[in-house]
Amino acid sequence: MWKVVKSVLAAFFGVQNERQRSEDFQHGNPGAFIAVGLVLAAVMVGLIALVAILASR
Amino acid sequence: MRRKLALMTGAGSLCGVTPALANGWNMPVGVTDVSRDIHSLHMTIFWICVVIGVVVFGVMFYSLLRFRRSRHTDSANFHENTTVEILWTTVPLLILVGMALPATATLRQMYDTSEADLDVMITGQQWRWRYEYLGEDVGFTSSLSTPRAQITGEEERQEHYLLEVDEPLVLPVGRKVRFLMTADDVIHSWWVPELAVKQDTIPGFVNENWVRINEPGIYRGQCAELCGKDHAFMPIVVHAMESDEFDTWLADRKEAAAQEALGVDREWALDELMERGEQVYNSVCASCHQVDGSGSEPAFPALAGNEQLLSDVEFHIDVVLNGVPGTPMAAYRNNMNPVELASVITYERNAWGNETGDAVQPSEIQSRLE
Repeated sequence: MWKVVKSVLAAFFGVQNERQRSEDFQHGNPGAFIAVGLVLAAVMVGLIALVAILASR
Repeated sequence: MRRKLALMTGAGSLCGVTPALANGWNMPVGVTDVSRDIHSLHMTIFWICVVIGVVVFGVMFYSLLRFRRSRHTDSANFHENTTVEILWTTVPLLILVGMALPATATLRQMYDTSEADLDVMITGQQWRWRYEYLGEDVGFTSSLSTPRAQITGEEERQEHYLLEVDEPLVLPVGRKVRFLMTADDVIHSWWVPELAVKQDTIPGFVNENWVRINEPGIYRGQCAELCGKDHAFMPIVVHAMESDEFDTWLADRKEAAAQEALGVDREWALDELMERGEQVYNSVCASCHQVDGSGSEPAFPALAGNEQLLSDVEFHIDVVLNGVPGTPMAAYRNNMNPVELASVITYERNAWGNETGDAVQPSEIQSRLE
């Protein structure tokens, strides 16, 4: 699970190393990546909204 | 090769010419706190871009020259480097966030039009500006005052060529002035660099902006949105006065407006109307119909010797009050007071060889407006 989160975060950032990438593609489950991706995207939107709300107070 | 190097050092030394940048080549520092913030933001980002440019092109040109083919350099042959990739992602991210923080802070300040001490309505019209001091019953039209002869080249151009108006917008120093900006016909843009205001004025919308001017003075600007034939001939002049001086000016204008409102009911002599009418005509009408009433066919008909107008005073009044749909002729019923309307119609019916002898009375116009 932690590995999936790490890979999704790397994708958000835009940089992933080759070893990790090939491992994900061989052993990973696409559904898990999509689910974690959606959750983390929602978290990111929430974080940005929070920063905006705090900054505009 | 040596020439290339010379070019590069030449470009390098250009960056050092900061005083030249401040003299007409760069945006002005301006006379409001916001304009100062914008200027320093602009300079900060400019220098960040210069540093990035020098580093990127420096590395690029160094690599091109140092490892060129004639030196038989072996090319490096590696696939990926996670550390470098993280670095070149993080560094631009930090730079962008570093630029976004102060920029956002300045934007928030610019958009905060609350708690203004004075509201001024700015209306763009083809091709002049109208200013109204809301709640003060003071409003006037501000038109280009550069003589036609300078534009046609018969006279020498003066210092403020195309940047001078008959009536400047007068504003107080040290007070927050809110602008409510709109247009009557097409999109214009009210732009005064020294105040760091460049705001589109759009028919049917009211945009807001504000200034708090720190130094008294005359600040000039132009329409910044292509709006037709005389786009270049509708400049903006702001006269910033000390607060008490401004109050006196505003009281005088209020008094004059009240006097004129009183004058609506009395009978006006032809001479009086002609005198006032000439003033109004040259400020508002002459940009299209020309100072001598000769017009500019086909869009702007001649008024001198115009049988249709001269034979029918009702038609003439209707055209000026309500405009002519489908043509550039605007409706002036809300832009001028009855005295101005009556006098300009009288002037048009009795100037340039037009000799109807009609003295259109302000009271007549007043009853038409109600």
